[in-house]
Amino acid sequence: MSDFFTATVLFSTLAAGIRLSTPFLFAGLGEMVGQKSGVLNLGVEGVMLLSAFFAYWTALSTGSLWLAVLVGTLVGLLMGVVYGLITVVFHAEQGISGIGIFLFGLGFSDLMFQEKVGTPKFTSKLPSVDIPLLSDIPHVGVAFFQHSAMTYAAFVMVPLVMILLRRTTFGTNVRAAGENPESADSLGVSVARIRFSAIVIGNTLAGVAGTALVLELGIFQPNLTAGRGFIAIALVYFGAWRAPGVMAGALLYGVVEATVITWKALGIIPRSLSDISAMAPAVITIAALVILARRVKPPAALTQPFSRH
Amino acid sequence: MRNKNRSRRFKLLRFVAAVMALGLLASACGDDSDDGGATGTTAPATTAAGDSAATLLKIALVAPSASDDLAFTQSMVDAINELSDPVALSITDGTFVIEEAATAIREYAAAGNEIVVAHGTQFGASLAEIAPDFPEVTFLWGTSTDTQGLANVFAYSPDAAEGGYVNGVVAAAISSSGSIGVVGPIEAGDAVTYITGFNNGALANGATEVSITYTGSFGDVALAAEAATALITNGADVLTGSAQMVVGAVGVASDEGVPWFGTQANQTSLDPSLVVASQVYHWEVVLEEMIAQRKAGVLGGEAFEINLANGGLEIEFNDGFDLPADARAAGDAAIAGIIDGSIDPNG
Amino acid sequence: MATDTDIPMLEMRGITKRFPGVLANDAVDLTVRSGEVHTLLGENGAGKSTLMKILFGLYQPDEGEIRLNGEAIEVESPSFAIAHGIGMIHQHFMLVPTLTVAENVALGTRSTRWPLTDLPVVSRRVEEISEKFGLAIDPSIEVWKLAVGERQRVEIIKALYRDARLLVLDEPTAVLTPQEVEEFFGILNEMRSTGHGLIFISHKLREVVAISDEITVLRNGRVTGHTTPAESDRHQLATMMVGREVSLAPDRPEIEPGESRLVIRNLVVESDRGTTAVDGLDLDVRAGEIVGIAGVSGNGQRELAEVIAGLRDAETGSSVQINGVEVVGLGARIARDAGLAYVPEERMRDGAIGDFTVSENLVLVDHGSEEFSRRGLLRFGVIRRHSQELVDRFEVKTPGLDTATSTLSGGNIQKLILARELASGPTVLLAAQPTRGVDIGAAEYIHEQIIEQRSGGAAALVVSEDLDELMGIADRIAVMFEGRIMGIVEIEDATREALGLMMAGVHEGSPA
Repeated sequence: MSDFFTATVLFSTLAAGIRLSTPFLFAGLGEMVGQKSGVLNLGVEGVMLLSAFFAYWTALSTGSLWLAVLVGTLVGLLMGVVYGLITVVFHAEQGISGIGIFLFGLGFSDLMFQEKVGTPKFTSKLPSVDIPLLSDIPHVGVAFFQHSAMTYAAFVMVPLVMILLRRTTFGTNVRAAGENPESADSLGVSVARIRFSAIVIGNTLAGVAGTALVLELGIFQPNLTAGRGFIAIALVYFGAWRAPGVMAGALLYGVVEATVITWKALGIIPRSLSDISAMAPAVITIAALVILARRVKPPAALTQPFSRH
Repeated sequence: MRNKNRSRRFKLLRFVAAVMALGLLASACGDDSDDGGATGTTAPATTAAGDSAATLLKIALVAPSASDDLAFTQSMVDAINELSDPVALSITDGTFVIEEAATAIREYAAAGNEIVVAHGTQFGASLAEIAPDFPEVTFLWGTSTDTQGLANVFAYSPDAAEGGYVNGVVAAAISSSGSIGVVGPIEAGDAVTYITGFNNGALANGATEVSITYTGSFGDVALAAEAATALITNGADVLTGSAQMVVGAVGVASDEGVPWFGTQANQTSLDPSLVVASQVYHWEVVLEEMIAQRKAGVLGGEAFEINLANGGLEIEFNDGFDLPADARAAGDAAIAGIIDGSIDPNG
Repeated sequence: MATDTDIPMLEMRGITKRFPGVLANDAVDLTVRSGEVHTLLGENGAGKSTLMKILFGLYQPDEGEIRLNGEAIEVESPSFAIAHGIGMIHQHFMLVPTLTVAENVALGTRSTRWPLTDLPVVSRRVEEISEKFGLAIDPSIEVWKLAVGERQRVEIIKALYRDARLLVLDEPTAVLTPQEVEEFFGILNEMRSTGHGLIFISHKLREVVAISDEITVLRNGRVTGHTTPAESDRHQLATMMVGREVSLAPDRPEIEPGESRLVIRNLVVESDRGTTAVDGLDLDVRAGEIVGIAGVSGNGQRELAEVIAGLRDAETGSSVQINGVEVVGLGARIARDAGLAYVPEERMRDGAIGDFTVSENLVLVDHGSEEFSRRGLLRFGVIRRHSQELVDRFEVKTPGLDTATSTLSGGNIQKLILARELASGPTVLLAAQPTRGVDIGAAEYIHEQIIEQRSGGAAALVVSEDLDELMGIADRIAVMFEGRIMGIVEIEDATREALGLMMAGVHEGSPA
C-alpha cells in the first residue's frame, strides 16, 4: 500500500503493460495492413479466438509450443483466405462480414473447446526469454528484457510493417488499393490480389495475436480474448494508420490496463471505483485521440469494394 | 452538413467509440451466474438418461456457460446427475444471450418438461413472464434468494460466504507474510458473498492484509492473470478468487508456487499441487427437496439455500497439498462453528 | 504533322458494345496515325468513353476489331494495353494522392530492386522525361500537394514512363486555366513531333479546332462525321455533335441593373481541410444582372456558394446579405426565405435525392408549406398538379412523376432542380456549375432559363469553371484565386487572356 511508487512496482507494472499490449500490437498492425488496402476487418476478435483455441489445443495435445505457434498462425492465415474470399472475391459488405467472422470465431472456438477439451487444463506457457546483459539491469531489465519471444516479435513487427508499407512495391500497391483502387487498376495492378494478400497478412497477424495471448496464459476459455480484437481495431484509428502510432496506442492501452489492475491490487483505487476504473483504458485512449485529434483521414477507399463495371 | 469538417471528425470518433464499446461489452461478459455468461453459442447438448424416458421425471436445464466449465454450470449438471432417482434431462447451455435463454426456457416448458431450471440470476425477468403461462410446470431459478412472488417458482442460492470464511481461515493459517490476495470479477452476486466471507475468515485467523481486486470482467483471463501478478508482487503469498476468469490467476499462482483456494467447483485439477481447498456446490441437496415438494403438489413459492449445515456446501480439501495439521484443524473448527451458529461468516 | 506511314498506328473497326438497354457503340470506326492529334467529339453519352475503355481493356467489345500498327490485338486488360504502348490520361485523375509522384509513376511497374521499391531510379527517369517534354515536376513530392495542372503532368509522365506511343486524353483541359491549356498544347505538340499518336476527347469546340489534325464526331454511339479543323468551324462541329442547329451564344436582352440584392462583405471561410478557402471576399450582385465566378477549381468557389446557400459557416465578421437579410451561419431555411434559389454543384448530393421520385424532389424544399401540406399531412393531389406543371414547363424528360430521380439523365436532373428552384420566383439565383456534365441541348435550355430570371429582375450568381459558358451568359465576370476576387470585368471588356491570367493569380484586375 505504502510502496506503490517504489521502482519495483512501477517497473513490474510497465512489464505487465508491455505483456498486455502484445496481442493489441499484433492484431492492430494486422488490421492496419488490411485497412491500408481498403478493407475493414471487424472479425479480428473471432480470428484471435480461433487461433487461440487451436494453438492451445495443439500445445495441449502435442506439448510443443512451436507447433502451437505454427498452428495458431496458420489458422489466422486460413481465416484471411476465408475473409478475402468473402470481401474481395464476393464483394460482401465488409462491416457485416467482419461481424460474421467474429460471431463464427466466438461460437466455433467455444464449441471446439467444449467438444475437444471441456474441462480447462493448463499447457506449458511461453517461456520468458531474458536478453543477455540487458535483462540484468535493475528494474529496466524486468520491464523490457524479460518477456516472451512473442512480445519481442510484436515490437519487431513495427519496423517490419513500416518497411513493408513504405519501402516495397507491394506496400505501394497496398496503399494505392486503399486510396484509389481505380488508379491502381488502371496501371495493371490487380486490386483484388493486393487486397487479398493484405487481408491474409492482417488475419495472420490477428492469429498470431490470439496465439500470443493464449500461450502467455497457458489456458483457453470461451471468449478468452474478451474484446481485445475490437480494441485493436480502434487502436488503428488511434494510430492514424501508422505502425508507430498503433504501437503507441497498444502500449498506452496496455500500460493503463496494467496500472489500473496494479493500483486495484495495491488498494490505491478504492473498491467502490473498481468497476468504473475498468473502463479507464478505453476512456483514456479515446481522450488521447480527441486531444491529439490530427486531421488524419482513413484510407479513402476503406470499406469500398472494388470491381470494374 | 453545416460544418462538414467537424462532422467528419465526429463520425470518426463515433466509430472508434462504437468499436471500443463493442470491445468493452465483450470484455465485461464472462460466464457467471450473476452477470451473464460469455460463450455465445447455443449448442444444445441434450442427454437423456435411459430409454424409458417417458416414465422418468423430465427436467430441463438452461444455463449461461458450458456444462463442463469447472464452475457454475457444471455444479448444477453434476447435481442433477447426483439425484437419487434418475431423471430425463435436457440441457441448453452457453446461452450467454438472455433472449436465447428465454426462448429455450419457454420451449422446454411447452415441450412437457415438469421441471425447468433457469440457472442464472439474469433469467429472472424472463421467468416472470414465462412462468405464469405454464402453471403446471415448476421452474427452478437461481441463484436467487426470492421467487419474485411466483407460485410455480422455487428459488435457490448458496451461502457462498460460509465456504469463503473457511477458505479464509485456512489461507491465513498457511500464509507466512500475512498478506493474502483475492481476484474477483465485477463486484456483484456470489463473488461478493464469497469474498466477504473469505475476508472475514482470513482476518479472524490473523491475516494482516487481504487485498481484494475486482478486475471488472467475468471473462478477461489475461487481466485476472495480471491482477494475480500484481498481488504477488505486492507480497501476497496465498491467493483465491471467484468466477470463470480466475483460471488466469491460477496459472500465475501455479508459476509462482503460491497456494490457491477455489470456489464453485473443485479446482484441484488445475494445479494438483497448489490448490489447497475448494468450496463445492451440491445443489442436489435442495433439488431433492424441491422435487419432493412438487410431488407433494406444491409447485413453487419457496426459496432454498445451500450451506454447510445442509450439506449443500462442502469444503473439499486437496490431498495433494501438504496442509499442516493445525491449519486443517482451524478449517474444520470454522466449519463446525458455522454449522452450530457460533460463527457468522458475514459478520 | 503526321509522319508518313502506310499503316496507321491504331485502327478500330466496327466496334459495337451493348449494355442492358443501351447500344453504347454502334459499329464505330476510328483510325489514328502516328504524329497525329485525333479528336473524338461528342456529347456526354455519345459513346466516346465506352470506345476508349474498350481500347484500354476496361471493357470488351461485343463486335469489331482493334489493330495496333497493323496487327490485330485483343485488349483484355489495362496491363495488356499498357504493355502494348497504349496510355490513358483519365478525366478523373488516376493518381493516389497520398503517394509521391515517383510512387505513383512506379505503381504497377517492375522494380529493379524487387521486392523493395527503386524510387531513386524511377525519379531519375521521371526527371529525364520531364526535361524532354517540358513537364517540370518534383518526383519526391506527394501528389496531394500538387496543383491540378501539375497532377495532369504526372499523368502524362506516367504514360510516357511506360513507353506509351498512343495516348488517350479524356477531357484533359476541363480543369485547366486558359494559360495552362496553352502550355498543355505545347506538351501535346512536343509529343506529336516525337511520333506519338494522341486521341483527344473534348467538347470544348475552341480547343478542338485549335489542336486537332483529325476530328471524329460521335452521337448516340455512332460516328456521325469525320472532318478536320480546316473543313469545319465551331458552329458546324456543334451541329454535327448535337444533330440540329444550336446557338452557341444565347440572346441576352439589354437591361439596366437595379439595386444590390446579394451583398457579400469581408467573407472568410474555412475549408474542410482547415485552411482558409475564402479570404476576405467582397462582392455585389444587382437585380437584373448575371455575375459569373470564374476560376480554377478549388480556389474557394465551392465554399463561397455553400456559405451563401446557408450550408456552411463562415468566420465571425463575415457578412452575406440577401435582399438586406443577414444569412451567414443561419442555415438554408433563412437564406431561402430571404429570396434565394440554389442550384448546387453536386446535384446528386445537395440538389436532389436519387431515391425520391421526380414529384417528391420537386416539392423537397416546400413540402412543409401550407400549399402542400395540411396538419403535417402531404396533400398529394396538389403536389401532383404542381409537379406536372413544372415538368411540362421546364421540359423535364421523365417517364412519369413517380420515376426515381436517379434514373434520369444529368441534364434532366438539372432541369428538375432548376424547375423546383425557379418555381418560387426567387429574387437571387445562385447556380454552381449549372451545366457540368449536361448535354449541349440541356445546357442551352438552362442558360435560357438563367437569363430569363435575370431579365425578370433577379440577381444571378453563376459559378463555373467553363469560361466559354460565363462569357456567353454573364454581364460581369469575377475571377477567384486563392479565396479572393482577383478582379471583376464587364463582359464587353472580357478577354480569355486577361481572365486566364487572373485565374492563375498573375494579374490584379480592376478592383471590385
